[in-house]
Amino acid sequence: MKRMVGVLLACICAMGTVAPAAAVSPLKGEITVSAAASLTDSFTALAKAFRAANPKVKVRLNFGSSSTLVAQIQSGAPSDVIAAADLSSVEKLVAGGSVVADPRVFARNSLAIAVKPGNPEKVKSINDLARLRTIALCGKTVPCGVYASTVLARSGVVINESNITRGADVKATLGAVVTGDADAAIVYKTDVIAAGKAIHVVDIASSSNVKTMYGIASIRGSKNGLLAKAFVDFVLSEQGWKILKGFGFQKP
Amino acid sequence: MSKAKVRDVASSTPGFVWVGAALGLAFLLLPLVGLVRRVAWRGLLGNLVGGPASEALRLSLVTSVIATCFVVLLGLPLAWVLARIAFKGRSLVRALVMLPMVLPPVVGGVALLGAYGKSNGLLGSTLYNLFGLQLTFSPLGVIVAEAFVALPFFVMAVESGLRSIEPKFEESAAVMGLSSTKRFSRVTLRLLAPALLAGTAVAWARALGEFGATITFAGNIEGRTQTTPLAVYLLLESDPEAAYALSLVLLVVCVGVLVAMRDRWMGRRS
Repeated sequence: MKRMVGVLLACICAMGTVAPAAAVSPLKGEITVSAAASLTDSFTALAKAFRAANPKVKVRLNFGSSSTLVAQIQSGAPSDVIAAADLSSVEKLVAGGSVVADPRVFARNSLAIAVKPGNPEKVKSINDLARLRTIALCGKTVPCGVYASTVLARSGVVINESNITRGADVKATLGAVVTGDADAAIVYKTDVIAAGKAIHVVDIASSSNVKTMYGIASIRGSKNGLLAKAFVDFVLSEQGWKILKGFGFQKP
Repeated sequence: MSKAKVRDVASSTPGFVWVGAALGLAFLLLPLVGLVRRVAWRGLLGNLVGGPASEALRLSLVTSVIATCFVVLLGLPLAWVLARIAFKGRSLVRALVMLPMVLPPVVGGVALLGAYGKSNGLLGSTLYNLFGLQLTFSPLGVIVAEAFVALPFFVMAVESGLRSIEPKFEESAAVMGLSSTKRFSRVTLRLLAPALLAGTAVAWARALGEFGATITFAGNIEGRTQTTPLAVYLLLESDPEAAYALSLVLLVVCVGVLVAMRDRWMGRRS
């Protein structure tokens, strides 16, 4: 008896949560969102919230380095939205006519240094990276790799290429410190926040740090243009911003 | 098999088998044609010589050859034990030896980190603390990763080679009074030569093409751990022509190895 009451209550609760949302949103279908690796956690949460508001919409997420995503879209991979870690990646799609409208900036980020927990190599600033054995950076054409070289140049730090291991995207780069033996990695601030206790954070002075901009746009020729626009609007909305902020992104 | 017999089988094979076989072959060949079509033949040499491409090729050649030597040294006794000694749990041991063939290479890389990683590897931390030896992010790490994935291919070829040797040759050598070491080197090794060669070649080709375990365990350092497959992956975005040129080199080498060995590495079937 007790169990039946429980089941009944659960049913009522479920009806209570689903019914009003279904009444609000007439959208249905499926979209593929290609997002930068540094957006892995935040866009997973954004897609979930979008789905909660539009229960008949399925959002497929495709994460990778922004340069990989651009190459995929250019070679015709089915994608409805691109969210890239820099604007120049999206500009390439604009120039090639692959996106509907100019990209909108939806968040900002900056870089930080991740080292092993407890900071065994006693890294105090970016200048200390030059004496370490292995430093993980993103690939030279990946946005986080481009940003890292800017920050290193601004700080006047030169790292020998034979001490640099290059990750395919920012998560792989951070992974070299978290699971591998790399001594340090230069990644986004949001990534070190997401990594929590698996790493120790060393800040980069704001005078030499970069303010990175994330751009979002719908892809031209998408079969679900309406859904794509709805998702982009959702990311740019107040609710979307609250989610992004929760992951440590800064206001555009 | 005589020629007449082959013709018999061919004429009695139903049409749908031919169609299926042709589709299967086309399925495998089409991507290769697609790759070759993309190669910029005119600038081929320029794409391979100088820059990261030639460094990757040099590194791949050196590491894969050393890894293959390592594979032969460890694989030969292993194959011998598996082929010749009946012990309890042999099929389990054989399955474990073959594991890297089917294990996703990235998982293999993670496993290698767990064993030989400097910070928390089972053996790696000891190696580092006692001898200051770090395998990760070093060319030595590349060799370890390549040997790990290539070893089963060698063992498989050599084990089946050993099984196909008629025991009577070794028995008569024993009757003639040859010691077990001499019997092995003069009779067994000589009869085993084709399988040994095939196993070595296939293991080398596999080592040369290693990607997942290498990038996970040894990282991706230009000139130190960035082997040819890693260079292909990273160049695809920045310099696709160089990536296609390197892919072509790997393709040609692998085709060369397999054609030269024909189907010997799976054990000769007559």
